[in-house]
Amino acid sequence: MHGDILTPLVMGILLGGLYALIALGLSMIFGVMRLINLAHGDLVVLGSYLSYALLSYFGLDPILGLIITIPVLFGLGFFIQQFLLKRAFAISAEAPLIIAFGIALIIQNGVQIGFSPLLRGITTSYSMASFNLGSLQFPVSYLLDFIVALIVMLAFREFFTRTYMGRAITAASQNKKAAQLMGINTKMIYGFAFGLAMISAAIAGTFMGMTFPFTPVSGTQFLIIAFGVVIIGGLGSLLGTFLGGLILGLVQTLTAYYFGSATQMLFVYLAVLIVLAIRPQGLFGR
Amino acid sequence: MKSLISKISPGYLVTAVALILLAVLPVANMPRAWILYVLLFLIYLAMANMWNLIAGYAGLISLAAPAFLGIAGYTLALSTWFGIPWWAGLIGGAILAGIFAYLMSFAVFRLSGVYFSIGTLVVPEVLRQVFYLWRPVNLPLTGGGAGYTIKGVSGLSMGQIYWMALAVAILSAVVIRIVLRSNLGLGLAAVRDNQRAAASSGVNTFRIKLYPFIISAILTGLAGGLFFVYQQYIEPGSTFNVKWTMIILLSTVIGGLRTEGGPIIGSIVVVFLYFLLARYGNYSLLLQGVILIVIMLLSPQGLVGIAQRYSLFNRFMAWMGKPLIAAK
Amino acid sequence: MSQDIILKIDRIDVFHGTFQALWEVSVEVRRGEMLALIGANTAGKSTLLDTISGLLHPASGSIQFENHDISSADPYRIVELGITQVPEGRGIFPEMTVLANLEIGSYTKRARANCAKNLKKVYKLFPRLEERKKQIAKTLSGGEQQMLVIGRGLMSEPRIMLIDEMSLGLAPIIINEIFRTLKTVRESGITIMFVEQNVRKSIQESDRAYILENGRVVLCGTSAELCEEDKVKKAYFGI
Repeated sequence: MHGDILTPLVMGILLGGLYALIALGLSMIFGVMRLINLAHGDLVVLGSYLSYALLSYFGLDPILGLIITIPVLFGLGFFIQQFLLKRAFAISAEAPLIIAFGIALIIQNGVQIGFSPLLRGITTSYSMASFNLGSLQFPVSYLLDFIVALIVMLAFREFFTRTYMGRAITAASQNKKAAQLMGINTKMIYGFAFGLAMISAAIAGTFMGMTFPFTPVSGTQFLIIAFGVVIIGGLGSLLGTFLGGLILGLVQTLTAYYFGSATQMLFVYLAVLIVLAIRPQGLFGR
Repeated sequence: MKSLISKISPGYLVTAVALILLAVLPVANMPRAWILYVLLFLIYLAMANMWNLIAGYAGLISLAAPAFLGIAGYTLALSTWFGIPWWAGLIGGAILAGIFAYLMSFAVFRLSGVYFSIGTLVVPEVLRQVFYLWRPVNLPLTGGGAGYTIKGVSGLSMGQIYWMALAVAILSAVVIRIVLRSNLGLGLAAVRDNQRAAASSGVNTFRIKLYPFIISAILTGLAGGLFFVYQQYIEPGSTFNVKWTMIILLSTVIGGLRTEGGPIIGSIVVVFLYFLLARYGNYSLLLQGVILIVIMLLSPQGLVGIAQRYSLFNRFMAWMGKPLIAAK
Repeated sequence: MSQDIILKIDRIDVFHGTFQALWEVSVEVRRGEMLALIGANTAGKSTLLDTISGLLHPASGSIQFENHDISSADPYRIVELGITQVPEGRGIFPEMTVLANLEIGSYTKRARANCAKNLKKVYKLFPRLEERKKQIAKTLSGGEQQMLVIGRGLMSEPRIMLIDEMSLGLAPIIINEIFRTLKTVRESGITIMFVEQNVRKSIQESDRAYILENGRVVLCGTSAELCEEDKVKKAYFGI
């Protein structure tokens, strides 16, 4: 049982990549708009269900299905921000939180109505396969998740540093008034940022669905993980998000290794609470 | 006698009549289902009043309610396995919930706004994992999972549980009234208005949020404990579940955050919807999510806020001796 | 609108919530001039600038910019039309580099095409910015930050540049240096309207000035005229 620690180490790192991907959207929205989107986890799960539906009803491979899930979630995100959250911010401090909660409710129950509370999983020919690294075996899906996470994060980094829109979002998050005075339409920028976060949620949801089974209520777990990653890694740092994901992933696999898999989520949550208590701005936060 | 009655404000009379009606409900030959509905209404009301206190008045959007009611419930359940009478377990559970809130504050009170909310979200999840794994009483489990039956309560009649719930609901209303009219309430309003100014006026902003937090935990635990007395068993999955948070949130917000009557109206609506659409559980919750959003956008002060736009309602309230206190 | 007048503010009332900050304020800005807005802290100067920039909207009255009515326009529209504000407190993007700050200045479609060209011009005006182009903005000194935000403002190819409280916290040497640079900017055809608390300096550096008190215009005129005004002499120069 305590034979080889290499497996959980590698798995933890690979898993961490996926966790970072899940957290990416949350981190972005929080960094730009100072809103913790309580519905983020459920939106990721929505992505999972959309991919699942495309696969079950149309036989569409989930990765190809991204062509549909990404625009759908982008549009949904844009809508949520422009028509719901924007107004909420003007109303009171608690309004955006409560509305996000309402959205979470709607998604969770809508999905439950459409797909039943049963566990689902997205299975393709490759999602169940495994590959060998030396004498050890790992699931292909984990590796896929990690690679995709890297690609998405690099893509986002390029977007934020190279494009005008990306830099506008960054600027607006640092000084909203000054951004407005530069000709940046902050009203629309936030909607765009939210939509971007949804793109990462769509991707995260699809690959999450291929790696783990999910139910309509998996959203809360994803939210806590995403939040944990953001807390540990700190805000405003892509690198921080990535490392935060790795740390959480490793916490999970290593505690499963040493204490049994029943306790793994407990330790993950405890880790989040501990970091919250000791250093809320995260390891790399500003 | 007539002159005595005319001296009492109509508001008190109406409230007294309502309470009497509620009290006689169990012995009035009503269908058992109705008693159950009102019982749940009373439990939700108590919890909603408490959430109104911390979220509406103290600005703490806490999502930790399942933790408090769960701790109280498990204290109740486990103590009955150790021979402690259920009522001691119930009260002990509520107190433990309060202590837990105090301990929790060390972790989450340094966080502001959104960080705080999610910190409080994590706590019930942790407890859920803990209680799935922890088997303090190593006996064959009933009800499956890691659940426990609560011993010694099967002898209680529905009516008795109902009356206890009524008492707790009244207590919650009294508590919130006392707190708001006290110095604590003044301080809370000041902190809500301008935290920094309040702090420089000597208001201990930490303590002033801590006390309502603990009070709310105790009463939420008490009300939750009563729920488990009724249900006669407890298990982690449905206890430390965000569904509780949703019910409490909905009850408070639909009725009207920061209003005195809001939780009452909201709880009625929630129980009504819950049972009207009992067969369509998911539709009911989905609908409630939509209602939540619509209410928040159109009338942040909830249904009470909508009612306040009609002069008829305001004049009625003034007649009742409850002049309009502008909700902010 | 006369050919001379590029911005016309006509009897505007502006509120912050229920509090009235500006009362029937009228200002005329002439093409190519250096106009000062003077007044004490609560006079309403920043409010006026924010209203011109579209961050606030007048409850009554109008603002016309070169035949466009911008009274209710969005801030980004006003920048597109050609009015850029350098806000109070510098308004840098603290975590971005100097270069990134400057580049974001040419966000509007109009300015984007000429980004590289304008960057060269800004570097010529403020060589220190070129030296520090890879530095993170929050690590610059106060004076350098002020230069940065003026440079950034210039990147948007404004026709009017509004500058709010430029000299706060800066040493006189730096302030003079910046005013010298502003003169050069003015020579390239840009109209400048700046807000200052320092009355003497403002009248010295400007062609014309408006004096605001408690949200109203109490005096206006050329610097020569103002120097003669008894009120100004008594109130501000203690004569």
